[in-house]
Amino acid sequence: MAKEVTYKIFDENFKEIFWSQLVSIFGGLIAGSALALYTDQLLLIPSMLILLPGFLEMRANISAPMASRLSSGLFLGIIKPTGTNQIKKNIIHGNVIASFLLSFILSLLLGIIVFLMNYFVFQVYTPKLILIIVIAGIIANALEIPVALFATFYLFKKGHDPNNIMGPFLTSLGDITSIAAILLTLVIL
Amino acid sequence: MNFNFKLKVFKRHKARHHLKKLQKVLRHKHHPLIHHIHHVHRISKKTLFYVKEYGAHTNVPKTILKEGLKIIILASIVSSIGGLALEQIKALFLTMLPLVILLPALNDMVGDYGSIIASRFSTMLYKGEVQKQWWKEPQVKVLFWQILIIAGITAVLSAGIALFISEHTRAPLLVTPLFSLKIMLITLLDVIILVSLLFFVTVFAGIYIFKKKEDPNNFLIPITTSIADFGNMVVLALLVLLFF
Repeated sequence: MAKEVTYKIFDENFKEIFWSQLVSIFGGLIAGSALALYTDQLLLIPSMLILLPGFLEMRANISAPMASRLSSGLFLGIIKPTGTNQIKKNIIHGNVIASFLLSFILSLLLGIIVFLMNYFVFQVYTPKLILIIVIAGIIANALEIPVALFATFYLFKKGHDPNNIMGPFLTSLGDITSIAAILLTLVIL
Repeated sequence: MNFNFKLKVFKRHKARHHLKKLQKVLRHKHHPLIHHIHHVHRISKKTLFYVKEYGAHTNVPKTILKEGLKIIILASIVSSIGGLALEQIKALFLTMLPLVILLPALNDMVGDYGSIIASRFSTMLYKGEVQKQWWKEPQVKVLFWQILIIAGITAVLSAGIALFISEHTRAPLLVTPLFSLKIMLITLLDVIILVSLLFFVTVFAGIYIFKKKEDPNNFLIPITTSIADFGNMVVLALLVLLFF
């Protein structure tokens, strides 16, 4: 006889999503406050409001699918939560390399698009903008990827579904790290 | 008593040999080897699909870049177009401090629901929990209501926090009861409209992508987060025009 499974709306998943969303709201408000606090510095960069949503979006689109891919592997039992084997090594190394490559390519592309937009639409020549975005993209990636990896395995080991938590956590963390990375790059350059 | 049946014995080295062969099969080709391994070694087809995509001898970065790059580029460009919309409504927005404070959190929130729906629905597809009549599946229904209820609660909560910050910072005179109610309604409607839209996009796109033997994780999250970003700007702008 097949085992009957009942599904409840207010279950463990509900709690996990709800609490992670509270973290997300908090993160969003921090990111918003940081943006508001440094508006003058950030708005000195031409077309920053056009570039910023794409840049923030990119960060979430790199790290969240990575966490989701790892979660699928963990749930299917292909990636073991503890110990190392060839498949686990290959998947983790591959994901980290892919995240840096994606970050570099996308930052470069976004920088070029906004540079061209500035040049042809607003008649402003801003080649430095491409460098700022590429460096900021790599810094933000270096800050976020280790956290994403560690948190996915940690949550799975603790018996949580990383799919419920990692998405909100990484998008809000991505917003904070991206804005911090842009400000850090402006200080460096 | 004489039982006459063939017993298939699991041989580890043979399974490993078959899995290696499977990884060399082209992604877009349905290969009889998948059926063979599934039948002989009793390994689920979903697991075999994952191994084929990200196995020990697979070039993982190449697979991810090949499947994910185009969609992430598209998502980032769509979001930047959303940034253009933000630039257009900037003057109106700056007059409403709670919405300015709320904007990054709201963008995050809607995007988060998009990625939760996408990743959980991807896992459901991998586990074979979604049948042809997906709307009758209890786990799909539960996912929808869970996200919608949480979205409603968090929208009201974040709007309350934004109003509280506004009241105690720069715009105490602006935050009247009617204004607060309008901000609450705008936030709530924005979140409900977008969550419903994201859910249906995820289901239809997810089933389509999975049928094409691709990993839905690589497509659904960028699609939903960019729809969330872009849609949030548009729906919010429309609601602001409607209410003010």
